[in-house]
Amino acid sequence: MAEEEERKLQFAPFHSLADEGFWRRLCSLKLDTLGIDQSPIPITGFYAPCSHAQVSNHLTLLSESLPPECHEQSSLASTVIRGNRNRCPVPGILYNTNTSESFRTLDKQSLLKAEAKKIWDDIQSGKAEEESAVLSRFLLISFADLKKWTFHYWFAFPALVLDPPATLTDLRPASQCFSLEEAESLKAACNEWRSSTPTSDVPFFLVCIASNSHATISFLRDWEDCQSAYQKVLFGFYDPCHLPNHPGWPLRNFLALISSRWKVEKISFLCYREERGFPNLDISLVGEALVSVSQAWDDPQFIPKAVGWELNKGKKASRCITLANSMDPTRLAISAADLNLKLMRWRALPSLNLNVLFNTKCLLLGAGTLGCQVARVLMAWGVRKITLIDSGRVAMSNPLRQSLYTFSDCLNGGDFKAVAAVKSLKQIFPVVEAEGIVMAIPMPGHPIPSQIEDSVVKDCRRLRELISSHDVVFLLTDTRESRWLPTLLSANSNKITITAALGFDSYVVMRHGAGPLCTSPDSTTEAGDALSTRIHNGGNRLGCYFCNDVVAPVDSTANRTLDQQCTVTRPGLAPIASALAVELLVGVLHHSAGIDAPGEIASSSYSGNNEQPLGVLPHQIRGSLSQFSQMTLLGHASNSCTACCATVVSEYRKRGVDFILQAINHPTYLEDLTGLTELMKSANSFELDWDNETNDEDETFVDI
Amino acid sequence: MGLCSSWDGTISYSEFFDAARALSEKWKLSNSACPPWTWICCKKSFWVSSHEEQGYLSLENFYCCSISKEGPYHDQSQSFGEEPVDDAALDDPCAPEVHQYDFHIVYSASYRVPVLYFRGYHCDGQPLTVDDIEKGLPANALKTLKESKWTFMTREEHPYLNRPWYTLHACGTSEWMKLMFSDSSSTQHGAVVEQYLVSWLSVVGQVVGLQVPLEMLKSSNLKPPFSSD
Repeated sequence: MAEEEERKLQFAPFHSLADEGFWRRLCSLKLDTLGIDQSPIPITGFYAPCSHAQVSNHLTLLSESLPPECHEQSSLASTVIRGNRNRCPVPGILYNTNTSESFRTLDKQSLLKAEAKKIWDDIQSGKAEEESAVLSRFLLISFADLKKWTFHYWFAFPALVLDPPATLTDLRPASQCFSLEEAESLKAACNEWRSSTPTSDVPFFLVCIASNSHATISFLRDWEDCQSAYQKVLFGFYDPCHLPNHPGWPLRNFLALISSRWKVEKISFLCYREERGFPNLDISLVGEALVSVSQAWDDPQFIPKAVGWELNKGKKASRCITLANSMDPTRLAISAADLNLKLMRWRALPSLNLNVLFNTKCLLLGAGTLGCQVARVLMAWGVRKITLIDSGRVAMSNPLRQSLYTFSDCLNGGDFKAVAAVKSLKQIFPVVEAEGIVMAIPMPGHPIPSQIEDSVVKDCRRLRELISSHDVVFLLTDTRESRWLPTLLSANSNKITITAALGFDSYVVMRHGAGPLCTSPDSTTEAGDALSTRIHNGGNRLGCYFCNDVVAPVDSTANRTLDQQCTVTRPGLAPIASALAVELLVGVLHHSAGIDAPGEIASSSYSGNNEQPLGVLPHQIRGSLSQFSQMTLLGHASNSCTACCATVVSEYRKRGVDFILQAINHPTYLEDLTGLTELMKSANSFELDWDNETNDEDETFVDI
Repeated sequence: MGLCSSWDGTISYSEFFDAARALSEKWKLSNSACPPWTWICCKKSFWVSSHEEQGYLSLENFYCCSISKEGPYHDQSQSFGEEPVDDAALDDPCAPEVHQYDFHIVYSASYRVPVLYFRGYHCDGQPLTVDDIEKGLPANALKTLKESKWTFMTREEHPYLNRPWYTLHACGTSEWMKLMFSDSSSTQHGAVVEQYLVSWLSVVGQVVGLQVPLEMLKSSNLKPPFSSD
C-alpha cells in the first residue's frame, strides 16, 4: 500500500501560448472595429490534456479566440465556443489598453479578484457543474503597440486559494492504482469520452469504477447519482502538465468545487494525460488529497483569496512578443526584395554578389528619361544608395517619358525633379537611401557671368565632393557639354563612370576607362595603394565619352536647328539605354578588375564562359532602333582627350577650380592644352577636307 | 495514365489528395512517435472544380529541443500590489527551451507539385527567426539547405492563412521528382501517385529536420504491369 506521507500539494502552473494569429486578429479588430474602445473583450482559450511525456500543454490563444467581428456587442455569456478533442474551449477575458502607461497601471489585483469571483460564483450557483470549463476561466491584459508591432501581455489563471492548503497523501502513475480489468475498462471509457463530440472537449468529469471493474465516465452534474451508485469515484480532469510528481493547475479550482459544494474531504483525483492521442495510464496520475477548508467558506458573503498571475521565468513580469518581422510592411518589403535576388542567385547566377550591389553608392547626373529609368533598374538589382542631381522642374510632358514622375508632380509650376524623384523612389521601396540635389552642372561653352561666378565655384566643389563620395557615376544629362566636368572629375577620382546618350533613334551606352594618373588625390580611398604600382597610359585605358572628339565641347544648344532644339527621341530608346547602362554596371562590379576591366566584343560564337557568368563586358554599346540592331565597340583613351587625358587631369590637379573656370569660359583653351589645336593645324596642312564643325549626325548625340 | 518515362514529375490536384491520404496512413503506421498528418479542409477557391475538396496536410506541434539558452523576450518587472503568498504553486524550474514547429503540405496549382510551408515558434508563441530555425536543424540538414541546388528556403504568404510562412521554393520540385522515379521498377502511374508524397517528403523533410522512416520508402502495393491477380 502507499506510504501515508503528508506533504503540501503543489500544482504545476499553467503555461500560456499566444499564437501569432491571435495578435494579428487583435490588431485588425482594433484597427477595424474597436478603435480606442478599451472595454473588456470576451475571449476563448484552448487547451488539451498533455500529449507528450516531456512537454506540457499550454493554454493557447488563436485567432479564433477573439469574437467574430460581425457581432457588435457580444455579451459575456456567449463566450464559450464549441471545440474539439484537441481544443477544449475555456472562457476568458481580455483587457487591452491603448497606451503602455495604462497597461502598467492596470489594477491587476482587482482584475484578478473579479475573475476569481466569477469562478467562485459559478461554483456556488452550480454553473460549474453544468459547464465545467468555467473552472479554468482566465484573464489576459495586453498593450498592442501597433507602431512597433510589439505586444506586451500578461496572463492570469485565477486559482482559489485553499485555506488551509490541501495536503497530498498519495500520487502515483494511474497504472499502479487499478487492476488490469479496471485499467482496460478505464482506457476504453476514456477513449469513448475523448472521441465523442459532446464530451471530447469537456475537461472535468467523474470516473466511476463499479465493483465488477467496469469504468464509466460521467458529467459533473451527475455527482449525486454517481456518489450513491458507485463505491469508487475519482475526480478526473484533463491535465496539461507532464510532470510525474505534480498535478496541473486546473485541479486547484476543481478541489475548491469538490470541497465546498460536495463537502468531500478525502479527494481521489485522476490527472488525465495522453500519448499519441490515446489515454496513457503510465503518465496519467492518480492521487489523493486532503482538503479541509475553514468554516468561513460556508459564509455566502465569503470569497476565497486568489492567485494566478503567470510568472515570466520565475519573475513577476509581463511578457512581450514582437511580430515586426511578419507584420511590419516595410520589413516584409525588404525581405521580399532580398529573397527575390537570392532566388535569382540560386536558380541562375550563383556568383551574384548581392553585397557589392547593396553597398555601391551611385550618383546619377540627370533625373530625366534616362535618370528615372536607371534609378529604377538599379533598385531592382538591390542597389540601395542613390543620389540624383538635376536642376530642373517636372514639366507637364515629363511623366509620360520619365518613369518616376506623376501628374501631381507637374502642378503649380512643377516640383524640382531631384526632389520628386527621391520621393517616388521611396514610394517604391521605403528603405532606399535616396537623396536629391537641385544643382546645375557647369558647362564649357556657356560662359559664366562674373556675378554668379562664386556660386558656380561652389557648385564645382560640390560636384567634386559628390563624385568622390560615391562609387559609381552615371552621366545621364541632356547635353554633351554637361558631361565634360563630371567626366574630368571622375577621371581624377578614378570612379566607375557610365554614360548613356540618345539620338533620335539611336543610343550609345559606354563605361569610361580608369583615370589616367597613378594615385588618386583622395587619399581616403584604398584604391590608391593598388594604383600606385600601376601606370596608366593612354594606350591601355579605355576611352571616355570625349576621347573620340577632335573638338572641345561647345555650346550645342545655341545655333541649333529647329529639330535639334526640340530634342526628341523615340520613347522606347531611353528605357533600352537605361537598362543597358545598369546591366553594364553590374557587369563591371562583378569583374575582378573592376574599372580596369578590359573591353570585350560580343560575338555570335560566344558560348558562355563559366568565369564570367554575366557574359561579355563591353566598352561601348551602340544601338539603333531603326534597324533593331546593336553592336559592341572598343575604343581606347586618347592622349588628347579634353576630359580625361593625363595633361588635363594633372592641370586640374595643379590649378583646381581656376582651371575649370578657364575651360568653361574659353573653350579653345582645352584644345590648346591638349594639343588638339596643333593636331588640327597639322591636319589642315595636308589640305584634307576637314570638316571643322561638329557633325551632328556622326559625332554628336543630342540627348534627352 | 502513361508510362513513367514521359511523366514530367508533376501531379494533378486530385492525385495530390490521394497521395496525401497515402502519406497520412503510412505515417501513422511507421512513425507514430511523431504527431500525425491531418487533412485540413479549406474554403473552395474558384479554380478548383466543385467536386474536389480543397485543403492541405498539416502536422502541428512538432517539438524540437533548442540548444540556445536565451528564451523569449523578457519584459521588465512591474509593481504588483499585494498578492497573497502562494505556497501551492510549484516553483517552475526554467525548463529547457522547446521549439514548436508546424508543417503544412500545400498543393501549388501553378507548379503542379506539393510545397512545404513551415513555421517555428518559442513555447510562448514568439515566432522563430531564420537564425533560430537554422540553429535548430541537424548539421547535415543545414548543409543540404545551404548547398543543395534543389532547395531554397524563402518566405511567402501562406496560400490559406494570410501570413508569411517559411517555405521551400517549388520551382525545382518536378525535376527531381521525375529523377526519383526514373529508375523505379513500377511503370504504373497509380503506384507513383501513391508513393509521391512519401518520396517527396523524404527529400524535403531532410532539409527541415523531419525524418521519414526508411520503411515508408519501400514501395508497397506495387503491381507489376502484367501480373494476374
